[in-house]
Amino acid sequence: MARNKFDQDETLETPFSFSHLKRAGKYIKRHARRMITALTLSALAAITALLGPKIIQYALDNTIPAKNVPQLILLSAVLLVTIIISVAFTTIRSRLMTRVGQDVVYDIRKDLFDHLQDLSFEYYDDRPHGKILTRIVHYVNNLSDTLSNGIINFVLEIFNILFISIFMLATSPKLSLLVFAGVPVFLLVVILIKPAQRRSWQQVSNKSSNMNAYLHESLDGAKITQLFVREEENKGIFGRLNKNYRDTWMKAQYIGNLLWVSVDNISVWVTAALYLIGVLVLQPSVSFGLIFAMTTYATRFWQPILNIANLYNNFVNSIAYLERIFETMDEPVTVSDAPDAKELPPITGQVTFDHVTFSYDGSKNILEDLSFTVNPGESIALVGPTGAGKTTVVNLISRFYNLNGGAVRLDGHDISKVTLHSLRSQMGIMLQDSVIFSGTILDNIKYGRLDATDEEVRRACETVCANEFIEQMERGYYTEVNERGSRLSQGQKQLVAFARTLLADPKILILDEATSSIDAKTERQLQKGLNELLKGRTSFIIAHRLSTIKNCDRIMYVSNKGITECGTHDELMAKHGDYYHLYTAQLQDL
Amino acid sequence: MFQLRWIWKNLKGYRFSYIFGLCLVLVGSGLTLVNPMITQRIVDQVITGVPDASGHLVRHLDQLVPLVIALILATLTRTAVFYTVIMLCERASQGVVRTLRDYLYQNMQQQDMDFYDKNRTGDLMNRLTGDMDMIRHTLAWIVRVILENVVLFVGTIVYFLTVDVVFTLVLLAITPFIYVVTTRFSKRVGPLHRDSREKLSDLNTGAQENIAGNRVVRAFAREDFEREKFDEKNRNYRDASMKANLLWFHYYPVIESLAQSLTVVTLLVGGLFMIYGRLTAGELLAFSSLAGTLANPMRMMGMLLNDLQRFFASSAKIIELYYARPTIVNRYDCVEKKERFSGRVEFKDVSLKFRNGAEVLKHISFTAEPGQTIAIMGNTGSGKTSLVNLIARLYDATGGEVDVDGLNVKLWDKSDLRKNIGMATQDVFLFSDTVDGNIAYGDSDMSEEDVKYYAHLAAADFIDKMEQGYDTLIGERGVGLSGGQKQRIALARALAIKPAILILDDTTSAVDMETEKFIQKSLRELSFPCTKFIIAQRISTTKSADKILILKDGEIVQCGTHDELLSQEGFYREIYELQSDGASAAQGKGE
Repeated sequence: MARNKFDQDETLETPFSFSHLKRAGKYIKRHARRMITALTLSALAAITALLGPKIIQYALDNTIPAKNVPQLILLSAVLLVTIIISVAFTTIRSRLMTRVGQDVVYDIRKDLFDHLQDLSFEYYDDRPHGKILTRIVHYVNNLSDTLSNGIINFVLEIFNILFISIFMLATSPKLSLLVFAGVPVFLLVVILIKPAQRRSWQQVSNKSSNMNAYLHESLDGAKITQLFVREEENKGIFGRLNKNYRDTWMKAQYIGNLLWVSVDNISVWVTAALYLIGVLVLQPSVSFGLIFAMTTYATRFWQPILNIANLYNNFVNSIAYLERIFETMDEPVTVSDAPDAKELPPITGQVTFDHVTFSYDGSKNILEDLSFTVNPGESIALVGPTGAGKTTVVNLISRFYNLNGGAVRLDGHDISKVTLHSLRSQMGIMLQDSVIFSGTILDNIKYGRLDATDEEVRRACETVCANEFIEQMERGYYTEVNERGSRLSQGQKQLVAFARTLLADPKILILDEATSSIDAKTERQLQKGLNELLKGRTSFIIAHRLSTIKNCDRIMYVSNKGITECGTHDELMAKHGDYYHLYTAQLQDL
Repeated sequence: MFQLRWIWKNLKGYRFSYIFGLCLVLVGSGLTLVNPMITQRIVDQVITGVPDASGHLVRHLDQLVPLVIALILATLTRTAVFYTVIMLCERASQGVVRTLRDYLYQNMQQQDMDFYDKNRTGDLMNRLTGDMDMIRHTLAWIVRVILENVVLFVGTIVYFLTVDVVFTLVLLAITPFIYVVTTRFSKRVGPLHRDSREKLSDLNTGAQENIAGNRVVRAFAREDFEREKFDEKNRNYRDASMKANLLWFHYYPVIESLAQSLTVVTLLVGGLFMIYGRLTAGELLAFSSLAGTLANPMRMMGMLLNDLQRFFASSAKIIELYYARPTIVNRYDCVEKKERFSGRVEFKDVSLKFRNGAEVLKHISFTAEPGQTIAIMGNTGSGKTSLVNLIARLYDATGGEVDVDGLNVKLWDKSDLRKNIGMATQDVFLFSDTVDGNIAYGDSDMSEEDVKYYAHLAAADFIDKMEQGYDTLIGERGVGLSGGQKQRIALARALAIKPAILILDDTTSAVDMETEKFIQKSLRELSFPCTKFIIAQRISTTKSADKILILKDGEIVQCGTHDELLSQEGFYREIYELQSDGASAAQGKGE
């Protein structure tokens, strides 16, 4: 799927199928015992509640005319007891269902989030983050009631219908047929409405997703918006998305509410038919009493159908969300452990590219038949024009993508045959964007190694020259920073990210323009620490600063789908090739 | 109630249709009683029959057809009325929510950077989605149902009173108990809903940060750690929400039993009254069937109060956003200037202190004449970015003043000022839009040629090589592009508004040397006059500046041209030596 934008509806790839319901059923099955208990309790409560009218009727017919006061008091007491029992049953049932509803939501959200962790970052690159967020939080929240009480009530109403149908058939098969005649009409309405109803709820989920995506991005980019004085225009865009959402919501309401309107009217036609046909046509063969009884039953037959119609509307709404959730859960994991993947044993840090071919889209190769070997402890600088594939080379070592040909080996182990966790936990990768999580600075650095002691954190910070500014902050290492890291300057963020990587104590270190925002002087100091850091580790460094590049053991010039020059600084300078030109260009400028 | 008044204010434009809809509820509820009345007549007139003069029951079959038609019409009317009511309420609630969303969006767009430092995206998202939905639910459903129940309750009571006052009062004796229990519940459930709302906001933030940091998560193979972290938030929310929802079932048995015991009272007291001849059988029958109608509003009260508490928890959060006011705003007497600024910038003894007490800038004074290039260098965290942020009023100076074109920036119309400033910030933020849309962000009407021209100036020609060229969609925050590519697009975006003042905050740190050189050349040869502020680490970038400022701990420690600074001991010469050291040594070997 091509990259998605905030104002593009996500097309739903899968058609509606009952497999969605079945899959939802899996989540409910886990709570089968509680569901069945709840059903039983509901049935018992209903039966107990039936006793009430009987007691009242008995009192009216017998006790009161007989002026039997003690019996009246007794019957009242019995009535009270039935009420208490029925309320107790209902309470327990509702408590159970509240728990089930929350548990189901918890389970679905957990599975969804867990799966998202397995997806490669391409998935996140291809769509606005707000759309992913909406699925995890709001779509899932919308399901709690439907998948707990909704299902119980649905089952109960079905039983109600069956129960009353049997009653009716036993009373008068002929008149029952009249009552049932309304059912096909109802089904016809459902069939007519359903496609529009389903589409409208899907639209609602699309439009809310679009709106949230735009909102999310606007919040993140507020500074740029203000700087470029775009507030008015953005307001217009948001206003349109907001309106679209409202319109689709209203449409869904217009359509969805037709259902109960139809049921109510059909039900009254059935009653009318009972009276008319019963009295005017069938009358001698059926008694007036029977007709009256049947109209009462008809009302009680259609009430559950009305309830089901309302439940159904909620179901269609929930399914629109479920479809999206399952779609995300079905998103294929492109980079995953091979079925027979082994743990990568502790490595020395030898890296071999063996005839590696790679393309992002399967058609245009970024790298072609690339082979090289880097020895343990060597430091490699990757240089070359922007977009030539420097970042791609290092991303392949961490197996962020699968190869189209050849193999990448660490200490002779093909990285596609080892577990991702054992592979990546031996590498330290510092990316262009330093992400800071909200929490303390200490937490952020410990992200590199969760069990590191505070002392180790401090030492790592000293090595990367981050200790000074951290200690100057009002709460030192315990200073709270937030997701945007706005309390820290860009250079400071990079230092924190650096300390985090160092703490991970990786065998292979990858620095992807990791020090670009650190000032020259700090970098110089950093260099000392860096030299120590590089000791005993294989490292790949992408940088533009000469001092950084020059210090490396070997320099690889990446261009033309491969490495065109490789050697020490001196060797490459002597060669008078691309590197020489790159280097002298910078010198002339000084 | 403040929150209700606030809602009423925002109901503007929908007030009439909303109130009309609520009035229709009265009509609809009235019609609900019509069907039983017609049925009653059918039973009396047709099924049972009416006694004639001689006492025989006579069935009026001729009345059946009109009655049946009335029944159908009454139902049709009733459903039509309720359908209209629901749609009117939905429309009004959507209207309010839409107005609020538009307003909040606009309000948030105008907030200071302080606001964005304080509030987490996940939490803000939560307010505009979950909390907003609670407001919708309140208007579309809660208010309507409360009204329906009040009508039902009052109607039934009035009917009871007409029949037997004493009996009615006995029935009503239960109401105070229900009232006491429900209000106690309502008081206790409020904090629980606020807590569960907080937990949801936490969960939202957790998910949001995980998505934003997905590369780091993968780089450190921290997927399991993230799962655990999220699981805790997921669990906390589930538990909090369960606790809030379960509390109701603590009170429900009492309330429900009390409500249902109305039938017991009816039976007992009504029975006794009948035995003593105070009530007729027909009256008691009517009473006992209506006792259920009376019980319904009582049992609904708890549920509705529960929802109302949730509404209060949510609306409080939205109101907070609604009334959030930025401190950096136009003064009432601000000066507008539609024509181009000349670009003169003067700092007069400027200081900047953050709310946490950190002094970021101290007594900064310097002048940039129109067309000059000012380079700013200094250690990480020395205040370089803060300094340039003051020019565009992203923050306001806490001491001294920043003048642009001879006037304090606080006195200019903020938009007019910013339209003259092109800034490429350090943390490059691109929107998930096309390359074209990103470059033309400051002026959406920009022609394609112009976009290409500025892209070329910023050395962003790599765009041409992309398959879809300028129509290529960029992922959020510019993912998919290298750091250098992002910086160049951001630079093109800043240049494209032809600013009188151009601010480049470390804009070329991730581009290679050759590209950098090209960009420097473009900047020297811009087709429009422009004062430039350049924050950079490389001497090659800064050496041709008219003035170089060296910052240290928020103060200017050195100031001068390249040659002047080279002749002094200090930061600049150190850097120069550092950078040329490696270079000259290499050059020696290279030759």
